[in-house]
Order: sequence, then C-alpha cells, then structure tokens
Amino acid sequence: MSNETATLSQTGDTRKAARIKRETVSTIAIAIICVVLLYLSRFISPALGSWSQVETVLILGSFLVVVAFGQGLVILTGGLDLSIPALITLGGVLSTTAVGAGNPDAWYLLPAALLACGFVGFLSAVGVVWLRVPPFIMTMATSIIVASAALGITKGTPRGYAPDAAVALMKSHILGLPSPIVFVIGFVFLGWLLQERSPLGRYLYAIGTNAEASRIAGVPVTAMQIFPYVISAMCAGFAGFMLVGYSSGATLRMGDDYLLPSIAAVVIGGSSILGGQGSFLGTVGGAFLLTILGTIISAIGLEFGLRTIIEGTIILIALLLLREELFNRIRSIRRKA
Amino acid sequence: MTDLTQTATRSEVQPPQGRLAGQTFARLLQGGLIIVILYLSLYALYFYQQPRALSAGSIAALMNNTVPLALAAAGQTFVIISRGFDLSVAGVISVCNVVMAVYPLDGPGGAIMSILMCVAIGGSVGAVNGFLVAYLRLQSIAATLATMIICQGVALVILNAPGGRVADWLSYELTDRLFKTIPISGLFVLAVVLAWLYLRRTSFGISLYAIGADEHAASLSGINVRKVRFFTFVSAGVLYGLAGFMLSAQTATGNPTSGTPLLLLSFAAVALGGTSLAGGKGSLFASVMGAATLMLLQKVLFSSGVSSFYTGVFQGCVLVIAVVFSGLIEKLGERAAKL
Repeated sequence: MSNETATLSQTGDTRKAARIKRETVSTIAIAIICVVLLYLSRFISPALGSWSQVETVLILGSFLVVVAFGQGLVILTGGLDLSIPALITLGGVLSTTAVGAGNPDAWYLLPAALLACGFVGFLSAVGVVWLRVPPFIMTMATSIIVASAALGITKGTPRGYAPDAAVALMKSHILGLPSPIVFVIGFVFLGWLLQERSPLGRYLYAIGTNAEASRIAGVPVTAMQIFPYVISAMCAGFAGFMLVGYSSGATLRMGDDYLLPSIAAVVIGGSSILGGQGSFLGTVGGAFLLTILGTIISAIGLEFGLRTIIEGTIILIALLLLREELFNRIRSIRRKA
Repeated sequence: MTDLTQTATRSEVQPPQGRLAGQTFARLLQGGLIIVILYLSLYALYFYQQPRALSAGSIAALMNNTVPLALAAAGQTFVIISRGFDLSVAGVISVCNVVMAVYPLDGPGGAIMSILMCVAIGGSVGAVNGFLVAYLRLQSIAATLATMIICQGVALVILNAPGGRVADWLSYELTDRLFKTIPISGLFVLAVVLAWLYLRRTSFGISLYAIGADEHAASLSGINVRKVRFFTFVSAGVLYGLAGFMLSAQTATGNPTSGTPLLLLSFAAVALGGTSLAGGKGSLFASVMGAATLMLLQKVLFSSGVSSFYTGVFQGCVLVIAVVFSGLIEKLGERAAKL
C-alpha cells in the first residue's frame, strides 16, 4: 500500500518537473539567443551592440509584444487570430480621425475606440463559439470585413493627426528611460500575471488542453473562449494607437507587417499552435528575437530580397533549435545522469 | 496496406439498403454539392444583371481570372486534408511568376520548359516543407511560414520591382479559347480535378484522408505517415507551381509580391468548399468551386455597382454564412446517413 502511494507521487512529480522545465528552458534559451545576437551584432556594424540599440529594439519590439500577447492567448485556447492587421489599422484610423483631427480634448474617445476594437473581437468570438466557424476562417472573415470597411469609410486615405496621448506614450521619457520601454515592462508584467498567475489564465490553459474535460471540471468554457478574442482585438487596436503615436499618422496598411510576426513570436516562444502549451515570457522573447533580427539584418545593408531570405532562414533555424524533440532529448540525458 | 484499402472499399460497397439514399446524399455533400448550388445561383444573378455573362468570351475571361486561385486552393486542399496548413503558396507563386517574367521562353517548346520549371520550383519547395514537417516534425504553419518568407526573398532577389515580360506566346495562347468556345485555362483545372478523382482512390489518397483524420490510428494500421505527409506537401507545391504559371500567363508581367493576395484567399476558397480545416475531410473539386465562387462574387458585386472598397465586406460575410450553412447541412446529411 505504502509502496503504491510512493510510486504514484513519484510519477506525479516527474510530470510536473518535466512540464515546468520545458517552458522555462525554451524561455531561457530565447533570452540567451537574444543577448548573444545583440552582442555579436557589434561585429557586423559598429553602430550596433550598444545601449542605444537595446533601446531601439525595446521600442520597436513593443508593438509586437502587445499584439503577440493577444495572439498568444487566442492560440493558447487552440484558436488563431488573423484579424490583427485589420484591427491595428482600425485602432490607428479611429484614433487619428476621431481624436487627432480637430478635437484633441475628446480623450474619452480613445477608450471608445478600444471598445470598438474589442467589439469586433467579440463578433469573431461569437462566430467561433456559437456558430462553430473555425477560428482561422472566422478571424480571416472579420479581418477582410474590417479592412474593407476602413478602406471604404476613409475613401482610401486616412486623415487626421496622432492624438497627443499617443505621442506622449511613445515619445516622452520617464525617469530617464524612453516611455515606451517603461510601458512595455509594465505590460509584460501585467500580461504575465494574467496568463500565468491568474485563475483566468489557468482556465485558458485548461481549455486549450482539453475543452470538454475543462467543461466537466466546471470551467466556464464559453465565456473563457470569448475572452481571448476580445483581448486580442483590443491589444491590436492599442498597438495601432501606439504606432500612430510613433509614426505620427495612420495608413491603411500599417497592420500588414504584424500578422505573421505575431504568430511567429508565439511559436518561436515555444507555444504549440494547437493550444494548451506555452508561456507569455517565451512569446516576449520571441517578439524581441524577431525585432533584433530585423534591426541587425537591416543594418547589414544588403538588398531587401537577400535580407528577407536571411530572416526566413534564421526563423527556420530558431524553430529547428527549439523543437520539442530536442527538449525531450536534453531531458532524457539529464534523467540518465 | 493494400489489404486495408480493400477491406475499406469492400465494406463501403454494400451498405444496408435503407442507408443508401442517405449515404449518397452525404457523399454528394462532401463532394461539394452546396458550393456548386451556390455558384450556379450566383451565376444566375450575374446573368440577370449582365445578359452577356453567358457568352463564350465572358465565360473565358472569368475562367482566366479564376484559374490561379483555383489551382492554389487545390494545392492547399491536399495539405488541409492531411491536417496541416501551407503558407508557402504565396512564396511559390511569386517565385514562379518572376522567373517567368525574367526568363521568358517563347513558343510551344518554351511553354513546356516554363511549365516544367514552375513545377520543379513548386515541387522542390514542397519537398523542403514536407521534409521539415514530416521528418523534422516542425509545426506545418511555422515551417511553411519560414519557407514562404525565404521564397519571397528569392522572388525579390530575382526581380526587385514589378516589371519584366512573360513570353507573348504564353500570355496569348493560354488565355485563349479552343475552337472559340472552350477556355484553355479551364482545361488545366479540369486536368487537375480529373487527376484528383483518380488519386483519391489510390492508396496515397486513402492514406491522405486517414492521416488527416487520426494520425496515430493511421500509423498503427500500417500507413507510412511520414512518407504520405512528405508527398502531400510535394503535390501541393506542384499545384502552386502550376498556379504561378497560369497567373503569369494571365498578368503577362512579373511582380515579386504577386502571390501574397492568394494566400488568405486560398484558405477562404477551401473553407467555402466545405473542407474542414481540422483535416480528414474535404474535396479538391469543392475547393476549386470555392475559388470560382469567390471570383464570381467580385464580378457580381462590381456589376451591381458596389464600390470596390466594400467588396471585402461582402466576401467576408459570404464566407462566414457559407461555412455556417455547410456545417448545418453536413449535420443534416450525417443524420440522414444514420437513419
């Protein structure tokens, strides 16, 4: 009897240890790759590898971190959000046209713009949860609809200026640090709390692993499946607001460059595209890794095509290095030792 | 392997009498009955707006517009049935397009060379994808994302800005009509659909559905999952190559980003055809019809006077409605098959 309990608790222990290790290992691995790349970039160009490049990376990466958080939550529940570019554009266009043009005092329109984005996310969620449309298709459809509505309403050229709040968020300094860096640190902390340390986050992991089992276990599955889409849409809208503050204007294609990187950041960060696995800190690492690569590659001064090839190859190498089998192998070596 | 196939077919051949009607209905649904009906009603609407819509010329024009997307969606269907995603479609089409615009080969011989080149490009990218996904076990969406980015880079290296000129012979002959009636581009799609109808019954086709439905069960029943998955990506790549070839013939010029618009549309076409993105189900013919419906919808909206800005709003709504509707019908079909 006592023997049996011992075996039981032992198996429980190894499984828990194995799970923690996998996610921690991949997060630490990405962080190391980031630091090494930043340091090595010194040899590529003297302008790189300095503190100012770290600042640039943190600022440029902040947009991707924000959208990848939302994308990560959706992927965690086994979905995928393709509407991110359209919602970035919507967030940007709403903040320039509603607030930036003429009525800078109407600060209350900013939360309203975010809520509008959240509502679009809610519509996607309704399609996924109640109409049972596959997430891939549903978010693609909302993306096409929102993008084309934004195109039609602005008649092809968005007008207006960046609202003061957006400029203040992206261009000022707090305690000697650029404000977007302070913001992104706070955002990562809150995101980590929400995904890894709150009951809500645990629910999302449970649903991604097995929705039916979590329903039986008493998780409010329907509400918890709607939530990530709303958050992801609001994150994308907020990223649009940030981009407007950074570049002082909105364009209709401003979100296009963020769809594939948002997925890539999550996947490179060690999450499974099938849901139920991954960590937000890994995603943050993935986002900064992609941004560092972008800055290094653009500093090399090669033609655009070659730079794209290098970027794709490095993503591929990162994927191969972070493969699950590799972790299993490392784990089995350690277990033998 | 062959034994398994035979047993599977034998049990299918003799269903209890009462089920026959329901099963035929269910099979028709899987083969794309809904999308064909949707297409025909949309065409009727188009004909009502534009009486010239049934002339050989305008059918051929519509067909030429449709063929690249139809072939891309056909390739995507392979991968989706096997329960994967293939983003490399955008990259392969762009590379084929710029290759044809930078190295034009004129005359019928040149056309054959070009088509072989495109098939080789698509096939080799597909082989890389297949190797990464089947043997190195990368997630298909991530691996093909990387190959797509690399292909886009290659396309930009070959031609860094829109330009170049596709061989005249190709751009004239392939968009023309045979005996003044049959659009030549349509024959390519017909050939692909016929090849699919044959392939579906081979052991490769049956294994394709099996690994999409349940990879573990498939491998336990003796299917070489890795090999089937590998060749799934290769076949898809070959079809993307053909799509790039037909796109070049149609646009007659090169553009390093010509494949990008087809990426999401190819998924839309597959979903519109009723193929489940969860794998194991679906039909290539239905995806081709899905692609045709998307392109026809654009024409109908244009001839109804809807501003082209808002085309997307309608495309998106039709997509959602069609998917919801085909899900409902499929459920009814399953119920009918059980009766």
